[in-house]
Amino acid sequence: MHIQQLKLKNYRNYQKLDIPFDDKVNVIIGENAQGKTNLMEAIYLLAFTKSHRTPRDKELISWDEEYAKIEGRVTKRKQSFPLDIIISRKGKKAKLNHIEQKRLSQYIGALNVVMFAPEDLTLVKGPPHIRRRFIDMELGQIQPKYVYHLGHYQKILKQRNHLLKQMQRKGKQDKTMLQVLTDQLIEHAAILLERRFMFLELLRKWAKPIHSGISRQMENLDIRYNPTIGVSEEENKEKIETIYSNKFNEIQEKEIDRGTTLIGPHRDDLVFYVNDKDVQVYGSQGQQRTTALSVKLAELDLIYNEVGEYPVLLLDDVLSELDNYRQSHLLNTIQGKVQTFVSTTNVDGINHETLKRAELFRVRNGIIDI
Amino acid sequence: MYYPEPISKLIDSFTKLPGIGPKTAVRLAFFVINMNDDDVMDFANSLVKAKRELSHCSICGHITDQDPCSICQDNSRNSSVICVVQDPKDVIAMEKMKEFSGKYHVLHGAISPMDGIGPEDINVPDLINRLKDEEVDELILATNPNIEGEATAMYISRLVKPSGVRTTRIAHGLPVGGDLEYADEVTLSKAIEGRRDL
Repeated sequence: MHIQQLKLKNYRNYQKLDIPFDDKVNVIIGENAQGKTNLMEAIYLLAFTKSHRTPRDKELISWDEEYAKIEGRVTKRKQSFPLDIIISRKGKKAKLNHIEQKRLSQYIGALNVVMFAPEDLTLVKGPPHIRRRFIDMELGQIQPKYVYHLGHYQKILKQRNHLLKQMQRKGKQDKTMLQVLTDQLIEHAAILLERRFMFLELLRKWAKPIHSGISRQMENLDIRYNPTIGVSEEENKEKIETIYSNKFNEIQEKEIDRGTTLIGPHRDDLVFYVNDKDVQVYGSQGQQRTTALSVKLAELDLIYNEVGEYPVLLLDDVLSELDNYRQSHLLNTIQGKVQTFVSTTNVDGINHETLKRAELFRVRNGIIDI
Repeated sequence: MYYPEPISKLIDSFTKLPGIGPKTAVRLAFFVINMNDDDVMDFANSLVKAKRELSHCSICGHITDQDPCSICQDNSRNSSVICVVQDPKDVIAMEKMKEFSGKYHVLHGAISPMDGIGPEDINVPDLINRLKDEEVDELILATNPNIEGEATAMYISRLVKPSGVRTTRIAHGLPVGGDLEYADEVTLSKAIEGRRDL
């Protein structure tokens, strides 16, 4: 799939923009603070309806304006359709083929995007929530139903945490309600876990050969799920539910004491191993980077196999962070098959066939010269 | 300051209604001023009357002008089946159906710890007392099919289980007369879950 055209209105520092894109590689060149990342963010937003940089949508609207609008024309399976995101001070609308989609799960997945930005290099060494967010976002765009269950899970979790806090404070012991919310939570938790296991299996399958390639066959990558309960990836949904149920019974007093939910997918983590060593703890900077890169590149193949087409790849200021060998590995992978957006301050240092044939866009202060 | 006091008071009153913002309130207030006197009197009286004469039925919690309400007083209705709903408007929806001949119990809300609403803040204790005092065979839980409504139904059913009263939950799935193709996937998967033998 690829983005044919992008229109922006009152979006951050872009007052008005209307540009056609190449279906292969598009390089966005500009000095710092001219709007390179803003453009990447707009494309990301078109796919996920959320920014990767901020949870506050109002920041996306240009100063003194009432609303911001992002319009994209996407080609997927030889069909072309428009996507619109309209952000006003009151809220946000997402339209697929001119029709507003009230449920997030009905919009996400229309456009698949994989973003690789400098902060993604912290995927391995950063805090666990980065890795959970990674699973949730990537799984969500190939399985919209996951977004639905995740939303429900988070809402029930919030209710349950409030109840636990009330029980902790007042010593109120209405355990029936706690039990009801626990059962509701388990129902969705088991589905989330089952789907995460499935996703992980695919991710492993695609990431291993890529990692081996980047590390010149020196390293063997493994990714394991680190859940808050003792459960293996082979268990089915019913078994996972039973395990959760037993564990929740066991820790009930402790949860009331602490006033919060102590186990569940919202506390799980991923662990990356290179040659059987935990990369987060024992890996070098280089190994951590290679791992992050392999996982991101694996997503391209993963989405291709699940959706039937390659996603759009966004490389935000990340080429300069990689050495020549990793750079060319990355560029070889995308060659000719993945629509890619590369943002960079200059292209001089990068000597690769893929970039020579690319379409160049120069950004200056929210204006792009074609 | 731009409006004389009587009208600014009226505008302020209108803004207290749900779905009415400052602009609509101004429009409504000016409309009222131009209405004829009798209509305004009627309007004011109905407001006061509705508030004064309506109360909640001491048995089921439905809104009523007599206590107990007409449904609770109706001996031709089957008092061994109680349908539990969240809102008085739900009772009216059920009554329109004309198929249900049991009695009701109105909860006035759903359990939501997030909003500080516990079982004792909605009409649950009264329901439990009713089950003790009356001969009830079945409790139909007709709370809304969202997270809070579902939790409330589950909560009540667990509370009631030991007493041996049968608890049932209304079905959810496809709307009658609708098209399968327009149903969203969540509704559809619920409909598949709740399928029956023919």
